[in-house]
Parts: sequence; structure tokens; C-alpha cells
Amino acid sequence: MPESIVTADHLVKRYGELAAVDGVSFSIAEGQIFGFLGPNGAGKTTTISILSTYLEPTSGEAAIDGISVIREPARVRGIIGLVPQEIALYPTLSALQNLKFYGRMYGLSGERLERRCRDVLELVELWERRDDRVERFSGGMKRRINLGAGLLHHPRFLLLDEPTVGVDPQSREHIFDTIFKIRDAGTTILYTSHYMEEVELLCDRIAIMDRGRVIADGTLKELLKMLGEGGVIELEVSPPGCPAHLEDELARQEAVTSVRHEGNRLFISSADSARSLAPVMQKLAGAGCQVASLELYSPTLEKLFIHLTGKELRE
Amino acid sequence: MMASLRKLRYVAAKDLLIIAKDRGSWMTLLVTPLVVIVVTSFALAPVYRGGSLHATLLVTNNDRGSIGRSLVDTLKTNANMSVQPASEAESQTLKRGGSTYALSLVIPADFSSRVMAGQSSALTVYEDPNSTTSGPFLKGMLNGTVNRFSAVEVATRVAVAEAQKANPAASTAAVAGNASAAATAQMADQPIKTDVRTASGLKTLNTFDIQTPGFAVMFLLFGVMIGAEGLLEERDKGTLGRLLVAPISKTSIMGGKLAAQFAVSISQITLLFAIGHFAFGMDLGNSLLGLALMVTMTAFTATTFGLLLAAIARTRRQASAIGILTILLMSALGGSWWPLDIVPDFMQKLGHITINAWALDGIRGLILHGEGFSDILPQAGVLFIYGSVCFIIGIKMFRFRNA
Repeated sequence: MPESIVTADHLVKRYGELAAVDGVSFSIAEGQIFGFLGPNGAGKTTTISILSTYLEPTSGEAAIDGISVIREPARVRGIIGLVPQEIALYPTLSALQNLKFYGRMYGLSGERLERRCRDVLELVELWERRDDRVERFSGGMKRRINLGAGLLHHPRFLLLDEPTVGVDPQSREHIFDTIFKIRDAGTTILYTSHYMEEVELLCDRIAIMDRGRVIADGTLKELLKMLGEGGVIELEVSPPGCPAHLEDELARQEAVTSVRHEGNRLFISSADSARSLAPVMQKLAGAGCQVASLELYSPTLEKLFIHLTGKELRE
Repeated sequence: MMASLRKLRYVAAKDLLIIAKDRGSWMTLLVTPLVVIVVTSFALAPVYRGGSLHATLLVTNNDRGSIGRSLVDTLKTNANMSVQPASEAESQTLKRGGSTYALSLVIPADFSSRVMAGQSSALTVYEDPNSTTSGPFLKGMLNGTVNRFSAVEVATRVAVAEAQKANPAASTAAVAGNASAAATAQMADQPIKTDVRTASGLKTLNTFDIQTPGFAVMFLLFGVMIGAEGLLEERDKGTLGRLLVAPISKTSIMGGKLAAQFAVSISQITLLFAIGHFAFGMDLGNSLLGLALMVTMTAFTATTFGLLLAAIARTRRQASAIGILTILLMSALGGSWWPLDIVPDFMQKLGHITINAWALDGIRGLILHGEGFSDILPQAGVLFIYGSVCFIIGIKMFRFRNA
């Protein structure tokens, strides 16, 4: 098991009565891509802001490579790279001028600065456009330069805050390729998104956030297991009160792993939903419950999010 | 320490590069002030020095004698005035207002005979009540000429009296005629002339001496307002945030940005003065060192004013709204649009709450009044204190992070 390079312990960030981050804890092993998945306003950016030393937490602790982001922010800044959600570039300067400026901020100069700028521009496949003003780039190209500006100093830990917002599919592929190359070069990455497909594709571990809290954390397989390995049977039943009454009995049926109800809807997780379906239906009929609708589906992060929070990921 | 200074320099260099590439900034920093300076300097030249104002005087000459003719001829020699003959009825229409002309003169029929007899005489002047600049201007010139003919009348009277004392039998009419003719001839040569002298020696006032510093200071403040907006834009667009999580101190970030703004301000005012001097003959006074000190202190204070503006405003729009209002108010109160000498005493005192007033006191003192380096030290000192206070408040209030 690789050692953790990032640890967060009960991080809290309050703005008056509002807790933007409410007791978030997690750790990231070296070389991993760790994903934060959650809707807008879940607390992902605030958590990233604390880890990148942009914001101080109200309470809690976080460390990068053993260095406290609260007590030694200056040291932390030297080993991290941040790619913010905004295109944080100077539009009237060229791609190369932008990268050189940020490189100098990280202490690069001379031949080393020139080489790193070239490496990064080649990595994001914009070397040919290096002298063009950033304002003339497409949204996807700007995103790639935005990403590149965070890589110049070879950070040990890279924070990517929604790096694909508003880009076309081709540029998104470019960005994904780049992220894999960065990971393969040994950089640990924290990736936030509200697109579950991206997190599923890129991340070794995923934390699902909602209302400032981490509500689930694990590998994709571990998370989906929470819905049942085989799938989910979702039923709308009547009369009211029927689901609650039957929960324990349904849980004992073949291959069923868990049962939960919300109002008149039943969510039955099963290791083999095809095998569970018949006994479940018999049990419901025997209890006088009528089934108004039935849905069988394989577990996804989207369904898991609904399962955990009762709402859509993009709400 | 060295690394911090190096990064400060990189931030400043980056800002200067951004400004150099921005044509809009050049328009505000140089082109617009130049246009305003040139237009107002030419337009207001007559107001400040009367040199090139021109007006037409209607003249009704009812006198058939030589003195009346001589008065008209003398009026015609004035390069700033055209004399247009008119009937008495035409001359009288002016008093009803709304005329094309500001002033008319009616010379009575007995004008020459009375002057030659050493008797007092009256000229009638009609003025359009709605006339603004040219009315008083014409009256001034007319009074000057008429006074010369009053002197002829006085000289004639004195000559007649003296002749009668010496020889009571002498012909009064002959003495009066000879005396008035001689005095009229003498007056044509205007025995007493005036020269306008200022600090730089014999010269005519150049309106650019007044307008260039005034508008240069005003547009300097507009320049720093753009700088303040740029600072807030960096905060809003995330580039400032990106710097805050890089290994660079806030001191280096802000130091670099202020250094760039200071350099731009110095360059802006220096270029405007250089163009004013070489293209339009603006005087730079007798102390270039004093002028350099005033330019430096003015640029410093303006730069810190920009920081204060960025600290007070929450958004770019607010910075623009507050900036425009404050700068226009300061320019009006502080003497950028007109010299403070011409406003009432309490307005002069009130004006000295502004950067403009202190800057222009020093700069115009050097340029217009021939003051030296030591004379402008108080103004430079006040500007330094003013700038330091703006800096301290601005740096304490500025929010590096968006709320």
C-alpha cells in the first residue's frame, strides 16, 4: 500500500452560520488520482482552496507530504500545483509569456525555465501556438494552457478544480491524456468534477461530497458495491406504509444485500437482481402491496449519489 | 530577500508588458489627454491672455471734424478689433439685446469742435446685455483708446490756459487748435507702452503652461484608476488567486503591481510634459530638478490613490464609478480645469484637500512663477504624506481574496 502524501482531518470551513466544508477527512496515496465528485456547492472547491493554502480552515488539519498547510503554507506552496476552475491566465499575453511568468514565480529561470516551458507546451500539444495571445485560443486550448501553468515546477501534488468545464469533447480527451501522463510521471492528483463519467474514467479513488461532507469514499468498485454488486431493483408500491412494513422480510430474500425505502419507493440492492426479483415480487403480492412501477439497473455513481442523498448529482 | 525582489520585478515587468500591449490604455494614458490639452489650450488662449480674441465694433461717426476721424482711425489700428461703420439706428439696436455685435460707439457731431475748444465731450456706447466675453473685451480696448483722446482734450485745455496766462490777448481758438493737433499726433505714438514679463523673462503667456499640467494630473489619476480596475480584474479572474498559492509573498505581488503603476504614471506625465514642451513650447521653469521631484511625488501619490480605490471598491464597476466621480471632483476643485487663482478664497482652501491642488501648486509654481527647488519642497512633502496615508489605508483594506 503506497504511503499517503495528502491527509485531511476533520476540515471545517464556516462562513457565519454556513459550513461550506463540514468535517471532511480523507487521505490520498502517493501516485494516485483522487477524485472529488459532487454537485456545485458541495464543498469541493473550498476543500481544494484549503489544501492549496488559499483559504485557512476554521478548524481541522491538513498536510501535504507531512507539511501542515496551516502552519507552513509557504513550504506547501513550493510542492503543489493548482489548476483553478477559472482560466487564470493573462489573455493579452502569449501562451509562452504566461508560462514563463508563472514559471518564474516558482523560481525557474534561464535554460531550465525555457526547457520546462517547451516540455509543458509539448505536453499540452500547443508548442506550435506558443507565441499566440491566449485570448485568441479556443476554450479547450485555454484550459490546456491553464493546466500547463500548474505543471511547470513538477509539483508533487497537483490540484485540478473542474479542469474540463466548458470544453469540447476533443479537448477533454486531450486533457485526460495529459492527466494520465502527469500521473505516470509520479505526480499525485486531486481531481474535482461534477461529471461522474470523468471521475469514473480517471480516478483511482473517489470521495463523494454533498453539503460540505464526504458521504462516501473508496475505489469505484467499493463505492458501487454499496448499491449491490449485481444491481438495484427500484419499485414504487402502494398502499402507503407498505414498504416500511416489509423491509426486514425483503432483506432476507435470495441475493438481496440491503433494502431501503423513501416514501412509497423501495430500493433493493442485490448481488443478483434477476434471481432476487421473483421472490421479492411474491413477497410483495403476499403482503397485499401493489407495484405501480419497477426498474432494474446496474450500479453507477449517479445512482449511488441518488441512493445516498435522494437527489440527482446535477441538481 | 533577493528572490522576493526578483519576483517583485517579474510581476512589475509582466504588468508593464500587459499595458504596453493594450491599445486602450495608450488612448487613456496619452492620446486622450493630448487631444484635451491641445483643444483647450487653443480654445482658452484668448481668455488667459487676450492675445488672439477678435471682435467687431460698430461705429457711428456723426462728427465731421478731424478728432472724430482720428478716433476712428486709431480704433482701426487695433489688430484685435474690426471697426464697422453703422447708422445711429443700427448702433442703438444693441441695447435691446440679441445682436450679432457686442458693442457700438456713437461719436457726437460736436466732438471735434468741443475737444479743440478744450471742452469736455461725451461718447455714447451701446452694449448688448447678453454679450459675454467680447463685450467686456471691446469695452476695455475702447476705453484705452478713448482715454488717449481724453488726454488730448486735457492737453488742449492746459495749453489754452497757459497761453492765456502768458498773453491774455492770444487767440484761444488758434492755441486750442494747434495744441489739440500736436497732442493728437503725439498720442499716435503711444508714449507709454507695457511689456509682460514672467519668470522666464520677456514672454507672452503660453496657455499650454496652464493646461498641460492641469490635464496631465487629471489623466494621471484616470491612469491609476485603470490600474485599480486591473488589480480587481486579476482578483476576479483568478490570476491573483493563482499567485497567492505560488511561492511568492503578498508584498512582492503588491510591490510589483505598484512599481509598474508608478513607472507608468511617471512615464505618462513625463511624456505629456515633453510633448507640451517640444511641440507647443510649454515652459518647464528654471528648475528641472524641482520639476522631476514634483512629477515623482505626484506619480507616487496617484499610484497609492489607485491602491486605495481598489481597496474601497468591491468590483471593477464600483472602482470605475467611484473613480470617475472622485477624479472629476478632485480635478474641478484642485485646479486641473482652471487655475485656482481665479476661484474664490474658500474654494481655493477647499481645493487643497485634493492631490491635484498640491501637485499643481508645485508644478505651476515652477513653470509660471519661476520658483526653484526649495520653493516646492512643502508641496512635495504634502504629496508624500498624502501618498503614504493612501498607501497605509489601501494596503490594510485591500482584499486579496474574493469574498
